[in-house]
Amino acid sequence: MTTRLIFPLLAALMGGGFLWQATDGLRAITAEEARRISVAENPRSVPETYLQAMDGAAIPLLPQKNETVLVEFIYTSCGDICQVAAFDFSEIRDQLALENADVRMISISFDPEQDTPEQLSYYGEAHNADGTLWTVARPVSLSEDQTLSDLLELFGVTVIANEWGGFEHNTAIHLIDENGQFSRVFDTDDVDQVVATVLESS
Amino acid sequence: MMFRYGVAAVFMASAFALSPFVVSDPVLHVLVQIPLLLLSGGLVASRITISKDIAYVYLIIALVTLIYWMLPRSIDAALSSTWYDVAKFVSLPLLVGAPLALSWKHIHPVLRGFLKANAISMLGILAFLYIHAPIRICNSYLVTDQQNLGYGFFFVAIALSLYWSWPLIFGAPTQRPPQRTRSQHLSYEGTSSMSSHPAVD
Amino acid sequence: MNYSYTPQSGAVKFTMILSGAVFALMMVLGLLMRAAQGEWLDIEPELFYQILTAHGAGMVGTAGLSGAAVMWYFLGRHIPLTKAVFWIFLSLFIAGVVFILGSIFVGGFAGGWTFLFPLPAMSGGLWEVGAAVSFMLGYTLIGVGFLIYYIEVGRQIIKRFGGLANALGWQLILGRKTDDIPPPAIVAAAAVVIFNSIAIVLGAAVLVVSIVNLLAPEFEVDALLAKNLIYFFGHVFINASIYMAVVAVYEIIPEYTGRPWKTTRIFAIAWNVVLIFVMAIYWHHLLQDTVLPAWMLITGQLVSYFSGIPLLAVTAFSLCVYIRGSNMKWDLTSALLVISIAGWSVGSIPASIDGMIAVNKVMHNTQWVPGHFHTYLLLGEVAMSFGFMAWLVRGKNIRTLSGLDKAAFITYVFGAVGFILVFLISGAASVPRRWAVHLPEWILQDRVGTIFAALVVLGTLGFVVRYVLGLIFENQASGDQISGDQNSGDMSSGGQPSLGQKA
Repeated sequence: MTTRLIFPLLAALMGGGFLWQATDGLRAITAEEARRISVAENPRSVPETYLQAMDGAAIPLLPQKNETVLVEFIYTSCGDICQVAAFDFSEIRDQLALENADVRMISISFDPEQDTPEQLSYYGEAHNADGTLWTVARPVSLSEDQTLSDLLELFGVTVIANEWGGFEHNTAIHLIDENGQFSRVFDTDDVDQVVATVLESS
Repeated sequence: MMFRYGVAAVFMASAFALSPFVVSDPVLHVLVQIPLLLLSGGLVASRITISKDIAYVYLIIALVTLIYWMLPRSIDAALSSTWYDVAKFVSLPLLVGAPLALSWKHIHPVLRGFLKANAISMLGILAFLYIHAPIRICNSYLVTDQQNLGYGFFFVAIALSLYWSWPLIFGAPTQRPPQRTRSQHLSYEGTSSMSSHPAVD
Repeated sequence: MNYSYTPQSGAVKFTMILSGAVFALMMVLGLLMRAAQGEWLDIEPELFYQILTAHGAGMVGTAGLSGAAVMWYFLGRHIPLTKAVFWIFLSLFIAGVVFILGSIFVGGFAGGWTFLFPLPAMSGGLWEVGAAVSFMLGYTLIGVGFLIYYIEVGRQIIKRFGGLANALGWQLILGRKTDDIPPPAIVAAAAVVIFNSIAIVLGAAVLVVSIVNLLAPEFEVDALLAKNLIYFFGHVFINASIYMAVVAVYEIIPEYTGRPWKTTRIFAIAWNVVLIFVMAIYWHHLLQDTVLPAWMLITGQLVSYFSGIPLLAVTAFSLCVYIRGSNMKWDLTSALLVISIAGWSVGSIPASIDGMIAVNKVMHNTQWVPGHFHTYLLLGEVAMSFGFMAWLVRGKNIRTLSGLDKAAFITYVFGAVGFILVFLISGAASVPRRWAVHLPEWILQDRVGTIFAALVVLGTLGFVVRYVLGLIFENQASGDQISGDQNSGDMSSGGQPSLGQKA
């Protein structure tokens, strides 16, 4: 009787505990949800990194002085999600500009071979990213032990090729706080939340 | 017996061989490779008898592990981390296929029926969600492939419900008399002669 | 073939107390809504919709519960059933009810018993997501209970008859010689097991999908598919409650007519047709969804025409044949059971009318539709359940209908007919359904409806109190004997009635 009842009960309890653990307390069943929880609970230090902006200049990824940096990953020939995300990004830029927020916004291409500075500036023009608050950049001339894949791994971005020569990727807005910590991930259309968070920290 | 081990080994080897291809195709991953792993474990264990007392523990281990591998993040993890991939190859045969095969005959028939109905329902749920979700459920797979997987779940649900309900409607094939040549007529006579014994309460 | 014992009369009798009490309570909720529409009572619209949701979910659930109890009881005469399964079924049911009541009256959920997407998710601030989740979890628990019940019934039928095809009388239909004809109760049970299991499996799927959508809105739901699944589930489930309860008619009426109810070829064919039709008639709830393919809408109309035929042709017609010239004795049991078949048959007429696309477009959102399903339920399933309850406490002797029994019966039937007619008349006059506040022009009808509703409640209280008293006295009379086996006494041959001269 005891074995028939106690052991299955124990097994069920342990199994439940295991699944609770495996889903971050039933909060995350997808890798994307897991990434967001992981980042919010354990912010990740962003190493010193320079990017090539659309005007060809090298810009730091890390926040300077007390500013906040918002990052999204794109490729300029993207026909769908990136375009929508860029529209949301420009909306955020407009609101933050009005508030004079201490913020930089960078759209980083994960396709640096195709996305030359010329391509980047076309994309910037199309979305009215003029380089003041918001610029478009690509990760070139990274130091030897820092590659694009390291950057993507740090941010937890998975890029896969689709059947039309483009890419699919988990699209989001990533926040690097003034301490250089990557600490929040937002949906791209979560405009109000992004603006509020940036204003709070600055 | 050797034959079953042989088939199990072939299944296991096929699952290994599929590894390079599952990276880009979730249907291959979830509806071919994973079932192969489950079956290989089940085949090895199918003739071993265990004590009835421990059967429900085995069942729970199998269900918990199966639920774990139903989480989209586990599938993503198996693709991005070798450790998780190894865990998949070990746990699906050893912690799902084998314990399920070992415990199945000891499980109460009503619970067995419930588990089957639940499996069909769950496949329907996955089909519904995967076909329609506008979001990407697995970071490692394209949305179109995700939809294909959804249709895959749907077809498996249909196939399983037909496979499982056929014997309920027409009588289980195991109850047929041994002569197979006159199967059609005999199956009816076979079942009715069986049922002419009144059930005892 | 027959079992003279009734396996779980205690559990079934308890379930029927529960069913009777909840039926009465839910009718009071209905009465309150009609009184509020008639402006005799001041109920806030928020509360009105909570009551509407509770009334719908409570009535459908209780119809299912009482139908399941009736079928379990009589199947015990033909197949052995595992006692624990009924208790698990009942426990899951009660647990589900707790979730549902909590969701409505604590969480404020008022999204209607159909939980139609996306209303539960978009409450406009009236209830939290948790309330909607709790409501659907409650349904899921009840669904799991029913599934387990059907698995047990199906499994025992298969064991005894060698497959559901045999239990559905296919050998009879195909003209094969057999001496093992399934009794009507088994034919009905086999059909219900098949179609309601399918409904529950699909219903559970759409419930879980809806719960996932509530908790993680990024998992969007295809609204049209969800609607199809929800109506399929709901419609089949409520139909199943009647098809389960009708077993009481097949098993009890022979005691009164003296003629056993036999499975004939046409009876078996009719039930096989019902098995298909019952799964297709939900379409008359979707005739306004013009985005559905035309063939579906046309099929829906055709099926709702024909769905009445197997029922009318077989159950109602054979009832008439059995009664005719049989020196039928009329007591509360037989009167309620016969009226239930009449109500069920008549109820198919407004349903068929609503099933016409042209009519449906103007009538479906009026009180015509509650008029139609209250006919099925008040004068169908609920009457069957009350008839069964009266039979459970009847004792060995059939007394003619008189005194309080007669008063309760007349009050109930008169009230129900009036109540339904008011709904149908209001529907024909385009009074909308599901409105908390009515226009002044409709208030007279609402008040007449309220009076009839009060009569129904009164009659119901009579039936329920009589049943409970009957159980108490029966227990006192039988002393330390195991109660509930009064049937095995007067029916020496089990399923066959003792009054039958030729079996």
